[in-house]
Amino acid sequence: MSYHRITLKVNGSLEVVDISGNMTLLQMLREKLALTGTKNGCASGECGACTVLMNGDAVNSCMVLAAECDGAEIITVEGLAKNGEMDVVQKTLVDLGAVQCGFCTPGVLISARALLNRNPHPTEFEIRDALSGNLCRCTGYNRIVEAVKVAAEIEGQEGA
Amino acid sequence: MAIAQASTSSVVGKSVKRIDVQEKVTGAAQYTDDIAFGNALHHCRVKRSPHPHALIKKINYDKALLIPGVKLVVTGEDFPEYVGLYLQDRNIFARDRVRFVGEGVAAVVASTEEIAEKALDAIDVEYELLQPVLDPEFGASKEAPIIHPDLEKYEHPNFIFPVNGTNMANHFKIRKGDTEAAWPQCAAIVEHTFRIPQVQHVPIEPHVAIAKAEENGQVTLWASTQSPFAQRALLAKSLHIPESDFRVIAPLIGGGFGCKAGVTMEAIPVAAALKLKGVPIKLLLTREEEFYTNFVRQGLVIKLKVGCDKDGNLLAMENTMYWDGGAYTEYGVNVTRAGGYSSTGPYDIPNMRTDSICVYTNHPVGGAYRGFGMAELHTGVGQIMDMLADKIGMDRTEFHLRNCVRGGDVLATGMVIHEVGLPECIDKVARALKLGEKEAPSAPNKLRGKGIALAWKAPAMPPNAGSSALVKMNADGTVNVSVGGQELGQGTFTAMAQIAAESLGVPYEAVKVLGPIDTRYSPYEWQTVASRLTWSMGNAVRNAALDAKKKILDIVAEAWNEKPEDLDIKDGYVISYKTEESIEIKDFVVYGLPKADDQGWLGGPIVGAGSFMPTYVTGLDAETGQGERAVVHYTTGAQGLDIEIDKDTGRITVLYAASAFDVGKAINPDMVRQQMEGGFVQGLSSAMFEECQLVGGEMRNPSFVDYRIATAIDVPEKIDTFIVETAQDDGPFGARGIGEHPLVPVIAALANAIYDATGVRITNPPFSAEKIYMALLEAGVVN
Amino acid sequence: MHNPHPGLPELDYVKPASLEEASRFLVEHAGEARPFLGGTDCIVRIRDGAWTAKYMVDVKGLEGMKDLSFDPQKGLTIGAAVPMNKVAADPAVQQHYPGLVEACHWVASYQLRSRATIVGNICNASPAGDTIGASILYGGVLRVFGPQGFREVPLDGFFKGPGKTTLQPGDIAASISFPLSHPQHACRYLKLGRNKLGDLAIVGVTVMAVPARTPSGYHFGIVLASVAPVPLRAAAAEAILESKEIDEAVIAEAAQAAMDGCKPINDTRGGAAYRKQMVRNLTRNGLMDVWTKVRK
Ligand SMILES: Cc1cc2nc3c(=O)[nH]c(=O)nc-3n(C[C@H](O)[C@H](O)[C@H](O)COP(=O)(O)OP(=O)(O)OC[C@H]3O[C@@H](n4cnc5c(N)ncnc54)[C@H](O)[C@@H]3O)c2cc1C
Ligand code: FES
Ligand code: FES
Repeated sequence: MSYHRITLKVNGSLEVVDISGNMTLLQMLREKLALTGTKNGCASGECGACTVLMNGDAVNSCMVLAAECDGAEIITVEGLAKNGEMDVVQKTLVDLGAVQCGFCTPGVLISARALLNRNPHPTEFEIRDALSGNLCRCTGYNRIVEAVKVAAEIEGQEGA
Repeated sequence: MAIAQASTSSVVGKSVKRIDVQEKVTGAAQYTDDIAFGNALHHCRVKRSPHPHALIKKINYDKALLIPGVKLVVTGEDFPEYVGLYLQDRNIFARDRVRFVGEGVAAVVASTEEIAEKALDAIDVEYELLQPVLDPEFGASKEAPIIHPDLEKYEHPNFIFPVNGTNMANHFKIRKGDTEAAWPQCAAIVEHTFRIPQVQHVPIEPHVAIAKAEENGQVTLWASTQSPFAQRALLAKSLHIPESDFRVIAPLIGGGFGCKAGVTMEAIPVAAALKLKGVPIKLLLTREEEFYTNFVRQGLVIKLKVGCDKDGNLLAMENTMYWDGGAYTEYGVNVTRAGGYSSTGPYDIPNMRTDSICVYTNHPVGGAYRGFGMAELHTGVGQIMDMLADKIGMDRTEFHLRNCVRGGDVLATGMVIHEVGLPECIDKVARALKLGEKEAPSAPNKLRGKGIALAWKAPAMPPNAGSSALVKMNADGTVNVSVGGQELGQGTFTAMAQIAAESLGVPYEAVKVLGPIDTRYSPYEWQTVASRLTWSMGNAVRNAALDAKKKILDIVAEAWNEKPEDLDIKDGYVISYKTEESIEIKDFVVYGLPKADDQGWLGGPIVGAGSFMPTYVTGLDAETGQGERAVVHYTTGAQGLDIEIDKDTGRITVLYAASAFDVGKAINPDMVRQQMEGGFVQGLSSAMFEECQLVGGEMRNPSFVDYRIATAIDVPEKIDTFIVETAQDDGPFGARGIGEHPLVPVIAALANAIYDATGVRITNPPFSAEKIYMALLEAGVVN
Repeated sequence: MHNPHPGLPELDYVKPASLEEASRFLVEHAGEARPFLGGTDCIVRIRDGAWTAKYMVDVKGLEGMKDLSFDPQKGLTIGAAVPMNKVAADPAVQQHYPGLVEACHWVASYQLRSRATIVGNICNASPAGDTIGASILYGGVLRVFGPQGFREVPLDGFFKGPGKTTLQPGDIAASISFPLSHPQHACRYLKLGRNKLGDLAIVGVTVMAVPARTPSGYHFGIVLASVAPVPLRAAAAEAILESKEIDEAVIAEAAQAAMDGCKPINDTRGGAAYRKQMVRNLTRNGLMDVWTKVRK
């Protein structure tokens, strides 16, 4: 098996990590960097629990080899808050009761953040579409959708 | 001293925020797989049976042991003992035979997961294939091969009735009134057989367990579990370890829905740890293993016959249920019993005959699944009631209202039911849905319809399942409440904090209820199942808080020379109604109060203890199912959907859904609504998409690729929920449970809506686009 | 029993510096090395043991692979490594190849499409590949680098069976090019999965209408997904639509021909009988839609 030393930025800090060729980004985050907020729900690209931002866009971290991440910039759920202040989507998920067991939540938050980054005024359909790769077995989804809607409104006001 | 501002607002009934939400949105929340064990951690993988039914002739693992990094292989030889919650019919590993595809026959422990995985290929298992039993009705027949020849030897409690020499692991009966005499009096009778497939729970967090055994006899298990205490009890007994030496640590769990109750895969790392002491051993199931080896919701064949008089009054029902219990029914036998004693559904039926039969098959193991038999039962009952209403020519809602259970009714078991708000629930849902008004579809190629179904469910558990709690006062006035019930996402820690704060008289913010549950330090709780925590653990917490309060008031009464009855705690202050004096509790709940003139001290650290166990549930006669009180109580409710069906594809779009449940008292209304919404969507998902496609005993869709669940795009944009509150006499503040119930009526309500839309009765879920389209094609609705 | 590994089995990650090096490596390790782009097929298949690969060869960084360019005279070129989301968000693609955008949107989820590529979808040659139909109908041609250097490979005849193409070990698809689309064309992809989004296709129908000098005044293209071992061109239906003046009845007739011309199988996603029905209904709906658009 091949082994690699890679350098990447994770949640703003530069990391040098030794990894094996078969390691996924998800495994690296959890096992090498102790960033266990990102979850493994299927290891096959289906559930979205492992979603992180890679170079600014949402990806399933179980579908990315760690070796591919040399030079990449990764943001995980742990990196969403800025200076101790939670991201708007974190706040609205809390406020609207859109979290139950919380296992899907990190992936949901990243998908929501990625959506609002590329589309600050999404329609309801666009929100549901953007979240359709994040399985949640607890909430029934509507509160999550509502939370993203409200987050977009809040950011719209702040930006204005 | 000034009188503290007595709080007028009460925290019970308030929608406070979830107590554990901050860590869940920041990624800090720790789940079992997140715990770091360092370099000592070893990994376990399981060799599984590819056959549904076979004798194990030989297991050869010599080659596996030669692989560098492999530390241990264990098999059924090493563990002859049985485990099981209600019927002890299961070994940790298959021993002489395998009974379902995916059953563990051996486990490898190695220094890495990859090595353990590689070693599995080096294990040779020789099988002699046996005829599998793939249908519960056939399984119950005389022709079927016997799957458990040792059934008669299995231990079980006295309310489970196995039929020795057969595949019937439990046969629950009700004989009430005289159905034969009632049939001739019926003006309309409907008979139908419904089939409900196995479905999976699909928590987003897969099962994971880590076990470590020490040379000194201590065993620790970290597990994603709903049942730390049941796991301790069952594993300790099976493996001959004193409970005091067996420690189960249960961090937050990423969804359970029943599949993390009882003992399942956790036994494997524990068994391995006993053979390889001193190192933690981890088993994490893949998603595919989840699908193959988790408890499934049992399949059901339900044969119903029901009749009413010309005014629509129900007169009789016969209900024969063949439950596809799967390879082991240790937990499933009680699903059958629950299905049996609730077999009328929430209807008042004077003459009842029920046979609820749990049948061994060579299918995946059935167990607890949110609803515990009720969703399956109601799929039949909820549809046949509509069918009967149509046949007698009565408005469906009126028919439900006329026949639904009401307080004081004598149930099929002979129990007299407490007051229930079911008629109010029906009314709320019917109004919200505008039931009876036909609405236009959104396009010419669509069909639109509405359906409603009722639900009831009692906590299904042993009659004496108990709870306990500790309320521990801190010197800064904050309070730690210890419980043994698990936070699954349902919000129980939050509700317990509300109950404790209210009962004790301190601000909600002062109370913390947090995990992990640790059997070494947390007080006993039977299991986090059955929608029983708010009620049962809530009572324990209330009792513990009242105990602490009493201790606090006793100290102050002595210090102030007053009677405790004249004192109270409000907002963290003890106040005297008599003297209007007050003192902040933090001043003395740990360090006590000085007596006057420095003459010593009063009190000491305050710990309140409380427990609760229902003592009034009676046994039921084995032949008639009659007894004074079958269950503790029922939560009832109604649910309805407004749907559209695309005639080109058969696809359903749910436009709107409404649910109403009588929860006794909503401790936290917003969280009650969250249960109603989430439970509805899980039910809807099972109704529209879900089925374990079992062919020859093997699941054909063991991954998310082909086992689809509802996503954000599949659910109705609007879901309304209504809370009805008819107080439970022995519930804390009148509360009873709501966790499972919203899932119970969904399949029937959707089936009824499909019929309303199309005029075609499609009875067996899942109501996939294909199934609907092909039925419409056959009926000539589309061509 | 389908029992995938918890993670990927042991393998080497290889990142060649040039197409030549990559091709040579793939030839030398034929049978045990796999080129990959987004890896969304490769990682899944290697993890579940369906493919064994000692080497995963990352070809994303190679020359031109990440470029997307549109030339108003020549058309569109999409580098093999350009992920679907990038393609779908490109204004030129949106304007000139809307069918490609729609097809991309139907694949899996947003986060998967941040990685998944059209060329990967094509090279994977799944009968359910969502972007294959549009790629065929827009006249996509792969530019493949092999041991003999570059060659152009049209998609006609490219697919040989599920997972099978005419590519040989050492062949690396570097980009896909599409000629300029007709300004008045219309293209739709109608996909039926079990969920409304995100599922693999039970049936997928790509239809295109282009004004042309035919008896009907149009040239129609229809490609069916998930109903045959390869993406299936509904030739009989296309012929009907060119030979007669179009009306609803002719569209229905063509849709029926598409249905009669396919022999789908039963699998976990759907039954053969249902699939045939859906081919007819979706083809009809798709044709109605593109016809209405081009007629304006
Ligand atoms: C969860 C999930 C959902 C999915 N849903 C869909 C769906 O809805 N619709 C759909 O169509 N697909 C779906 N797929 C499949 C997959 O995402 C698509 O086929 C995708 O387009 C593949 O692109 P890729 O770049 O990731 O391919 P890769 O995995 O990188 O490669 C795919 C194949 O092409 C070969 N290959 C890669 N690069 C080259 C090259 N340069 N030259 C020659 N051969 C090459 C690889 O060896 C492999 O055989 C899904 C996959 C997952 C994991
Ligand atoms: S763990 Fe990556 S999508 Fe499920
Ligand atoms: S909150 Fe439990 S899976 Fe979403």
